[in-house]
Amino acid sequence: MTNKMRVLVLGATGYVGRHIVQALAATDWAEPIAASRRGAVALDATDTTALVPALRQADAIVNAMASSPQDMIANAQALRAALAGTPMRLVHLSSMAAYGNVEGPIDEDQPLLGDLGPYSAAKAQAEHILRDCAQAVMLRPGCIYGRGSPQWSTRIARLLRAHRIGDLGAAGDGCSNLVHVDDVAQAVLAALLRPQAGGQAYNLSMAQAPTWNEYFIAYARALGATPVSRIGARQLRLETKALAPALKVAEIAGRKIGLARHLPPPIPPSLLRLWQQDIRLTSAKAQRELGLQWTSWPDALRRD
Amino acid sequence: MIEDANRIPAGSTLHADLCIVGAGAAGIALALALQDSGLDVILLESGSDRPDAAAQALYEGTVADAHLHPPPDHYRVRRFGGSTTLWGGRCMPMDAIDFERRDYIAHSGWPIGLDDLLPYYPRANQLCEAGDFAYTVETAFTRPVRSMIGGFDSETFSTDTLERFSCPTDFGARYRRRLERGPARVLLNANLTSLSSRPATQSDASTQPQPVDSAQVRTLAGNHFIVQAQGYVLAAGGLEVARLLLASPGASGRGLGNARDMVGRYYMSHIAGTLGTADLSHAGSVWHGYEISDEGIYCRRRLALRPQAQRALQAGNFVARLHHPRIPDPGHGSGILSALYLARPIVPYEYAKRLYGDAPGRGATLAHLRNVALDAPGTAAFLWNWLRRRTLAERKFPSIIMRPKNLRFSLDFHAEQEPNPSSRVKLGQAVDALGMPRIEIDWRYTGRDVQTVQSALAALAQAFGQTGVGRLDYAPDQVEAEMTRYGAYGGHHLGTARMGTDPADSVVDAQCRLHEADNVYIASSAVFPTSSQANPTLTVVALALRLADHLRKTYAAPRAPIESEIGSEAR
Repeated sequence: MTNKMRVLVLGATGYVGRHIVQALAATDWAEPIAASRRGAVALDATDTTALVPALRQADAIVNAMASSPQDMIANAQALRAALAGTPMRLVHLSSMAAYGNVEGPIDEDQPLLGDLGPYSAAKAQAEHILRDCAQAVMLRPGCIYGRGSPQWSTRIARLLRAHRIGDLGAAGDGCSNLVHVDDVAQAVLAALLRPQAGGQAYNLSMAQAPTWNEYFIAYARALGATPVSRIGARQLRLETKALAPALKVAEIAGRKIGLARHLPPPIPPSLLRLWQQDIRLTSAKAQRELGLQWTSWPDALRRD
Repeated sequence: MIEDANRIPAGSTLHADLCIVGAGAAGIALALALQDSGLDVILLESGSDRPDAAAQALYEGTVADAHLHPPPDHYRVRRFGGSTTLWGGRCMPMDAIDFERRDYIAHSGWPIGLDDLLPYYPRANQLCEAGDFAYTVETAFTRPVRSMIGGFDSETFSTDTLERFSCPTDFGARYRRRLERGPARVLLNANLTSLSSRPATQSDASTQPQPVDSAQVRTLAGNHFIVQAQGYVLAAGGLEVARLLLASPGASGRGLGNARDMVGRYYMSHIAGTLGTADLSHAGSVWHGYEISDEGIYCRRRLALRPQAQRALQAGNFVARLHHPRIPDPGHGSGILSALYLARPIVPYEYAKRLYGDAPGRGATLAHLRNVALDAPGTAAFLWNWLRRRTLAERKFPSIIMRPKNLRFSLDFHAEQEPNPSSRVKLGQAVDALGMPRIEIDWRYTGRDVQTVQSALAALAQAFGQTGVGRLDYAPDQVEAEMTRYGAYGGHHLGTARMGTDPADSVVDAQCRLHEADNVYIASSAVFPTSSQANPTLTVVALALRLADHLRKTYAAPRAPIESEIGSEAR
């Protein structure tokens, strides 16, 4: 059908990208063009000259590219250059990390401090670069979980099964800002369809998100990784100060011989900091303007 | 935020919507529950982050009978986190019967019922880090759980209720970060010395509620200032609440809330002791240790006197646990218990009491040493477990569980104490470093308390016999001596500002508000009209959370600046 919206998805083989492509393909109005460095449509999304012809084949673009901080910035610059003068809808997957080291309820008007390390800084800078694109919609998801989410489902499940995390006490009091990957995909669809979303930013995090402790305890129970362990401050120090650097070294070495994914996941200090950081994304705007309904997390834990 | 009260400008006046006094289980729970209320909260804490002997000394006082009650500065801690820096962590809710007026328990009956607390218990359980609010075997476990006593199925005693254990969570350490980053202003080293009411202008001042309008605060370093708030909450524990009320003159001049001489009376603890020999060698199985629930909480069954049995026996509430043999008597032959006995000089006072027997003979130490030597592998295994699961663990194995090979246990019981107006706390002549009168404690028990234990033990002995699981041997004439051997159960200070509907026989109403001053509330076990068998902390926290809801409604009336401007113009 010729009247379908052709949507170029950058980072289409990534975890979020794959779900976006699937969700687009399941509609009767969109036709995804799945692009990635090594995907069906091979494309270097940090290269303007490669992006320009690809954009000519598309009506809209979803930027779900996840990569190193340098590449994320290069990607944003290339995208801005390629889109110059083209009022094409761009849905950009930013992150809660763009807000940086802030606590309390955070709405979309908060400045993007990006002061939580290189990833956080790159996320903030990428948004800053892409803000000039007339039809850009910024989606700022919290922690994306759901079937096979490497960061917030499979890694957490491995750590819970190994009883390396569980009830973390004061170290797990932060709000998780979890958002199900299906809800992120729905947000992308809505952002593509709704004209008034242009130029807007939206936090994506379920309403009344659990604390990390609540999430870990419920998840461990769903996995049968019981009884849930209380992890003391001493053990967490050992994880971040001794085990994490060692595992990181092993991971780099292991990657060369293809064993990296068999290694236990490290708990770096940044992760521990996140679990304590009581940032609470307010996502009423996404509910209101994108018509989102949040997947119930206890249901998702039972189902996924 | 958390500040040092010594940095507040001397002589200044701080303003707030609410002033909470005491950062223990109740005060911290209340402050956390009000974090998103929009109310300006000041939380005063006498102590600081570390144990402070000078602050702790403010708790000193006297007791009428040193055999019946520990010194007033023991079993409670004047420090950020309060007595949760010391507690054992046993959590259990009250039972429905505890709230009822029972004609066989004098002065019984609460103006609220279990249903009023049920909405708050689950959150209280969470704050205490005791897992799900599930206090029966069926609700707490999805898997089959070992019976306590195989073949014991009795109409008088149930073994299906549980006690759950907190880490034990030190509320100060656990919630410090949340309070540091929260909106409430926590002032350390801040001692409330008096609550002042506006001078009475009406002739019937003592019968009309008079609001309190300021709190005088002093630090041990000599600073002083005033807090003016819309409402005040005393959350300083059952003994200190009485002291603070009595030390504030109130409209009557007899102490705030004390126009009818009710403050400090009905002082209760629990009746507890260890006695007898429960020989369960005929039972199908015996498990008196802990189970760990899915969410990781240590839970333990106990023998609970069923409500209908309480009524039939005209006894107060009562529970019993199977316990190891008495520690000071080396006859138990256990290396662990003997090691514990020998280590008693390094065990904290609050936990060492039962390690001292009645003047053990000279041979006792030798016999204990012999036990340790002969039972060396068992003792070593125990110590290793203790180190791993208690000393080094953040969720601590709650108590020593020693299984006697011959299945002869002693019985550890915990019973309700009848309210008694003559059992009381009052102010003495001596004063502390801040010039505050020290307390005098005159704790008493009644004949009903002896009868509760007597009849419950007799019923238990009968139930053991009837079910054929074994026998309970004890000397009925020794029950009173055994239940008072260690005096009032340490750390449970209840009833000194009891809740009721009639100002003639109570201090606070069903909302925990003073009858006499309609902006002063009590968040403490001081408001318990009766004691239940349950350890009080969980219920104290639940009452604090309930109070938080009430305070939100009462003090968070929408402030509409525009409207009030119009109002003032109109005036």
